Amino acid sequence: MSSPLDSARPSEIPFRNPGWAGNTGQFELTEAEVRGDEYIGARALDGGHPSGAPAFPFMLVERNPDAPLFEGPYKTRFEKILTRYPDVQGALIPVLALAQEVRGHVSPSTLQEIAQLTGIPEAEVRGVASFYTMLNKRPVGRFLIQVCTNISCNLCGGDEVLHAFLEYTGTELGETSEGGVFTVTEVECLAACGFPTAVQINSRYYENVTPAGVPALLDRLRTEAR
Amino acid sequence: MAYPYVHEKEVQIVSRGWGKPRTRTIDGWRELDGYVGFRKALEMGRAAVIEEVKKSGLRGRGGAGFPTGLKWSFMPKEKRGPHYLCCNADESEPGTFKDRELLRWTPHQLVEGCLIGALAIQADHVYIYCRGEFFEANQVLARAVEEAYAAGLAGANILGSGVSIDVTVHQGAGAYICGEETALMSSLEGRRGLPRVKPPFPAAVGAFGRPTTINNVETLCAIPHIVRNGGEWYRQWGTEKSPGTKLFCVSGHVRRPGNYELPLGFPMNELIYDVCGGFEEGRKLKAVIPGGASVPILSADECLACCLDYEGVQKSGSMLGCASVIVMDDRTNIVKQVRRMVEFFAHESCGQCTPCREGTTWLSRILRRIEGGKGTEEDLETLLALGTQMTATTICVLSDSAAVPVASSIQKFRDDYLALIRRGEAVGVV
Amino acid sequence: MSESATKPMVTATLDGRTVTVPKGTTILQAAETVGVWVPHYCYHPGLSSPAQCRLCLVEVQGAPKLAPSCVTELQEGQVVHTESPKAKEMRQGVLEFYLANHPLDCPVCDQSGECKLQDYVHAEGRVHGRSREPKRGFGRDDYGRDVLFYGDRCGRCTRCVRFMDEVAKDPRLTVVERGNRSVIDTFFEEGLQGSAFAGNIVDICPVGALVSKDFLHKARAWDLDHSPSVCPNCSQGCNIDLHVRDDVVQRLRPRANLEVNHHWMCDYGRHRYEWMNRQDRIEVPVVGSSADGVALEWGLALRQVADRLANAPQPVMAVASASSSNEDLGALAHLVRALGGGEIVFRSERAEKEIPLPGFPTLTRRYDLVPNRMGAEILGMTRVGKDDGTGGLEGWAAHRGTLLVLGDELRDVGVDFGPSAGLYVYLGSYPTPAASSAHAVLPVTTFAEGEGTFANVEGRVQRFWPGVRPPGLARPAWLVLAALVERLGGAAVPESAEAAFLRVAELAPELQGLTYEAIGTQGALLNEPVALPGSRS
Repeated sequence: MSSPLDSARPSEIPFRNPGWAGNTGQFELTEAEVRGDEYIGARALDGGHPSGAPAFPFMLVERNPDAPLFEGPYKTRFEKILTRYPDVQGALIPVLALAQEVRGHVSPSTLQEIAQLTGIPEAEVRGVASFYTMLNKRPVGRFLIQVCTNISCNLCGGDEVLHAFLEYTGTELGETSEGGVFTVTEVECLAACGFPTAVQINSRYYENVTPAGVPALLDRLRTEAR
Repeated sequence: MAYPYVHEKEVQIVSRGWGKPRTRTIDGWRELDGYVGFRKALEMGRAAVIEEVKKSGLRGRGGAGFPTGLKWSFMPKEKRGPHYLCCNADESEPGTFKDRELLRWTPHQLVEGCLIGALAIQADHVYIYCRGEFFEANQVLARAVEEAYAAGLAGANILGSGVSIDVTVHQGAGAYICGEETALMSSLEGRRGLPRVKPPFPAAVGAFGRPTTINNVETLCAIPHIVRNGGEWYRQWGTEKSPGTKLFCVSGHVRRPGNYELPLGFPMNELIYDVCGGFEEGRKLKAVIPGGASVPILSADECLACCLDYEGVQKSGSMLGCASVIVMDDRTNIVKQVRRMVEFFAHESCGQCTPCREGTTWLSRILRRIEGGKGTEEDLETLLALGTQMTATTICVLSDSAAVPVASSIQKFRDDYLALIRRGEAVGVV
Repeated sequence: MSESATKPMVTATLDGRTVTVPKGTTILQAAETVGVWVPHYCYHPGLSSPAQCRLCLVEVQGAPKLAPSCVTELQEGQVVHTESPKAKEMRQGVLEFYLANHPLDCPVCDQSGECKLQDYVHAEGRVHGRSREPKRGFGRDDYGRDVLFYGDRCGRCTRCVRFMDEVAKDPRLTVVERGNRSVIDTFFEEGLQGSAFAGNIVDICPVGALVSKDFLHKARAWDLDHSPSVCPNCSQGCNIDLHVRDDVVQRLRPRANLEVNHHWMCDYGRHRYEWMNRQDRIEVPVVGSSADGVALEWGLALRQVADRLANAPQPVMAVASASSSNEDLGALAHLVRALGGGEIVFRSERAEKEIPLPGFPTLTRRYDLVPNRMGAEILGMTRVGKDDGTGGLEGWAAHRGTLLVLGDELRDVGVDFGPSAGLYVYLGSYPTPAASSAHAVLPVTTFAEGEGTFANVEGRVQRFWPGVRPPGLARPAWLVLAALVERLGGAAVPESAEAAFLRVAELAPELQGLTYEAIGTQGALLNEPVALPGSRS
């Protein structure tokens, strides 16, 4: 029997706010309207207008660690990114992000390739990559579930939500579940403190998540993964 | 009209378009008098714009509350190479969630503010340093910038004025410290996000070695309205020293948490009990952090008389910061929450300065021990001493910030600590 | 204060003392001029200052916060306190943080005894640390080459990172991770292989985080005698210290000389010191051929050699070494002159390429792998032979006149050298088959055992001091040669190396007017500057 979620509209999902901070009763909005899906539309892989080329979701987790770096539209985006900074080093973080978008994580060999492409010393590239928590140094699951347990969410049960995710995915913190589907980690404040508990799954925010809502949310993700 | 709740006492300036998908679009923004301020600024000229902003008394909304007009006037008048404007959209102070709403509901408001700011400081390029985690909001913003370019409002020779301003949406990659202005510049330059020693100040040597100004999202969002309506107009709200409206990010144990745009000087009591609907049945106020994780905790009594403007909160013994009001009711385990905040600072310390690198972790370990019932009363003295040793000894203030919740909570909630130390019993459950 | 005419000066009060320095001088540097040493880790005079160790904070009267003295410029009229209660309390606090995760393994740490953390904590730290928490551990990492990294001892001052970046311009080190997990590392397993200057990061590490594998557990710092010297491994003449225990050179360390080597030296020079500890030495004068040679004390030996030299068969030919000091070479030239003149040649090894230090190209591992080619040449000696230091003496086997050798081991010639010479006197430190036909073998000291001067590639005369006691009856060559000259009716033996140096100037006008005092510890240029490619403009 398929999950009732498969056909349900987001607003009918039986937990308080179905992954978005919308239905407080004061706004008539759908999830898509809150997230701005229609306005954003489809963004071109080549980065579209150069002004936005450095800003792309790089938590897509394509899980294709062997994909060639920066070919086709990605090469175009890479070149666009370079034009937006006075020097190559300035482009390093967006370029690392682009690499993660392509490969899912930034492995030592990816860092090496970026060093060669940009002429930035390898050690520097490693030092920079290691500083930023969103750059995955190791492969992660198809869904990287980051649960905010910082103060505002914690006051409203962030720890319980985290434990629920760990329990229902059957993993330890930072570990990837069988089949490489889920990786659950703690994350620092996601700046959605008014909608506790905030959870980021890949590039998407889920808000007002409660422990009781976790199984349904995971089902929704599993459906997506299929 | 804040989001996701609305209250009649709100004054809608920067939050006017929230909750209306149409405001995101350039046409929707124009319907709200969008880009009128920018056109006016182009006509006024840069000096007049700075004057107008000075007149408004607008203070930086990122936490420090430094007057924006004054900050802009520090930029060299004579240009000898590129100037940069950085918009600090790296919102990550625990308790703060206003910038994300500004980005996703009113991206054009920010773009317009950036363009006016760039005009005022003669910046060639605006970098909007967006927090990396804000993928959704960043996509909205990127689309808005693209629209601005298409409408000739950004890029070369804007509206035939001869002024050229480029705008780039730069996405961070996960580091709280990059919200500190010099660390933000290091990060923008593609380096580790390490704060730098001042002087030199950014207005002299900033991003890429060039004069730079860094403004918060909310600050820049207020600019179009100030320019459009005049500085005096903005002063009708707020207090003499803290004019205007402010987004208050209320989180924690209130019925209606959310962002509320209110005049500065608004009473804290009214915010908690009226605007936010107070607490669940049978609960009462225990403590409030009025300005994000890095300001002192206020006890319930101190909140009573607290007015939410820069001076008022200071008088009550804390700081307004970015007006992130974290409300805790009597279920709160203060020790646990303080430990969580200190762990945050330990996780986000850049590791340059020794007092911060070693001190933040040390504090968090002691607190964890106390929380586990294995603390001693001596530990409290050590915590306070370490806090003093971590204050005013580092390049940036992250170290000070980590010490603040510890010291203020021991001072105001010592019994909670002693209950754990002497009897192994936690006061509060969350 | 000759600078005061050209540069604006500022006057301020520092710990109650009045200090006047050029505008732009940092408080830390200004303090040093009046003998106030502000504790610091991340500041190093050869590197940029990130002001992150937070140890050099001082109280500036009127300022709300303590100021990092390594980057704060001294202002006119400022009143600075480095020892005020506020400053001391802060230092004590910062030091406590340094020890919070430090393993306190001083008993097995090579840095112990010369460790800045030890020094500062001993001077100003808390008597008891308050940390009861488990310590963070990083373990050990082999960076390749001579460098070993002990992460737990590291204070993240990043001097090493900045050296590789700014001076070696080979940015292979970086800080990885952040906060309390930050650690110095290279690009994964890449290490420092191929770096020609990596050894310097061991020197500048203020704690025991970076240690030399060569020196690992070899000697305790407090057992080492430090003798100022000059690196003998190329003609750059980097100023160094010989670190010696029990007459064995344990390591070479650069000594600051901003004109020559700043604070650095190359790994090539650093690791060539074992020869100074060679045990196969000529220890007594031997007069007579190898078959019937007799070991004599110096008085007899000198008399017998002088007697034979008095009737030295002509022509006189001599082989010198460009590794000998000006004093030794000058004394040899004096002897040759006393014998009626003759040709003096030297051979020396030359490298295929130079190895410059990109961030301070004045310091370059030079072509000439000997320290005193310049000295030999201004004394009129001619270089012969090939670049590997061999050859050039092919015609000498048949030489029937007088043959003098100073210092050259003549490995490539061996027993074939000098069998037909009328008189063959060998002055050297090491036994060699080439001395088997010598009529006298006289033991002389090595560079490490004696005092003297070298002239480097740019014509800078620099002094070195004895660091090791000579074995047996070995004596400085200048003394032996001057004694022979005296016995041949020449000038009296100079009383000291300095007197010997003054006498060298008689032969080389370039040296005239120079004295040991003028040379000091930082050297002095020859009177007639010698322009050489690669030397400073």
